[in-house]
Amino acid sequence: MNDKTVLVIPCSGMGKVHGLIGREATYMAVEDLTSDRADTICLAMLVKGEPAAVTAVREHTCITLDGCPKECARKNVEMSGGEVAKAIRIVDAFRNHRGAQPGTATTLAEDGWVIAREIAENVEEEIHMIYKDKEDLQ
Amino acid sequence: MSSETVKVGIISCSGEEIPGGSISRLATRRVLELLRPNNTVTICLPLFLAGNEAEQDFARTHPTITVDGCDKRCAKWGTEQYSGPVNAALVVEDVIGADRLSKCHRSARNMNADDEEAVRVLAERIAEEVDAILAMENGAAIENDSPKEGVCSCSSPIPASVLTIDGERVEIPGLMLIFEQCMKNGVPLSEKGSEELLRTVRVYHPIDREKEHAYRKALMNAYREYYRSHQFVPLSSVK
Repeated sequence: MNDKTVLVIPCSGMGKVHGLIGREATYMAVEDLTSDRADTICLAMLVKGEPAAVTAVREHTCITLDGCPKECARKNVEMSGGEVAKAIRIVDAFRNHRGAQPGTATTLAEDGWVIAREIAENVEEEIHMIYKDKEDLQ
Repeated sequence: MSSETVKVGIISCSGEEIPGGSISRLATRRVLELLRPNNTVTICLPLFLAGNEAEQDFARTHPTITVDGCDKRCAKWGTEQYSGPVNAALVVEDVIGADRLSKCHRSARNMNADDEEAVRVLAERIAEEVDAILAMENGAAIENDSPKEGVCSCSSPIPASVLTIDGERVEIPGLMLIFEQCMKNGVPLSEKGSEELLRTVRVYHPIDREKEHAYRKALMNAYREYYRSHQFVPLSSVK
């Protein structure tokens, strides 16, 4: 794990489009918007209890993206001893997109990409705030 | 256990950090949706830790295949630790090869024909494992939606449709299921809709970049026919 400050961790839920939206929003955030400040990590590694993954979430501020109310990403990070600075629920993003046709758990339609982009921008804002808070403390 | 009740569980690691995780996720979805839709189920791997007892019982109540994106084998380990022993454990690189995997991407925004081929190869391998498990489970028969309409390369019938693209007959497995889903999602009969059709079909079927235009046109023609036969609205009123 590099020294980027924030880890963005989606649930990647298999059964619904929300899991895929969280996954793609994460890639947009860490590859396009905040590549110098954030990264992602496999949630499955936390489930396994892989020492590198556990250490990573304990040493970095985390943002979780969950596709369903079970909030697997948030819970797994917290159970591993990590700090979740912001827990985003994909379903909340749909409030501004009533009637949207986001696609499926396999592939996103145009509405799905729009929602993913909005979530990624939300993540970007959170990351900037986390950085600002850290700078203010120094 | 009767053939109607046997459902093989497929658990993908879906590792976000690596392309192998994306390939494992998409191949699993392909098996669930297209190759063995009547004989397979899935559950999110992280749910084993975050979920309740019923969810953690998954591998005890289903014969299970794990699909891992790397040799850490988190799906296999997590499933066995929290749920029960698995019947088969696949690792993406072992199935598709290191060279092919090195050309794959983790985001759908960047995926191309290499990713599509990797998904296809892995999905067919998973389907083979499903068949082997079903054969062992009291010789359970494989249920198929339409056994007469085409045969995939693993010799198991799946619904397919034939389109003529650039003068060539091309068989596309699961096209009607894709159209059904697109129609449900409101994919329009327009240029924008043809983009979405192409993107969706590409998940399951390799499409060369230079043939994209021909595919888009043929897919939209077929989708228009499908749309017309499945909705009672004058075609001229559909935008």
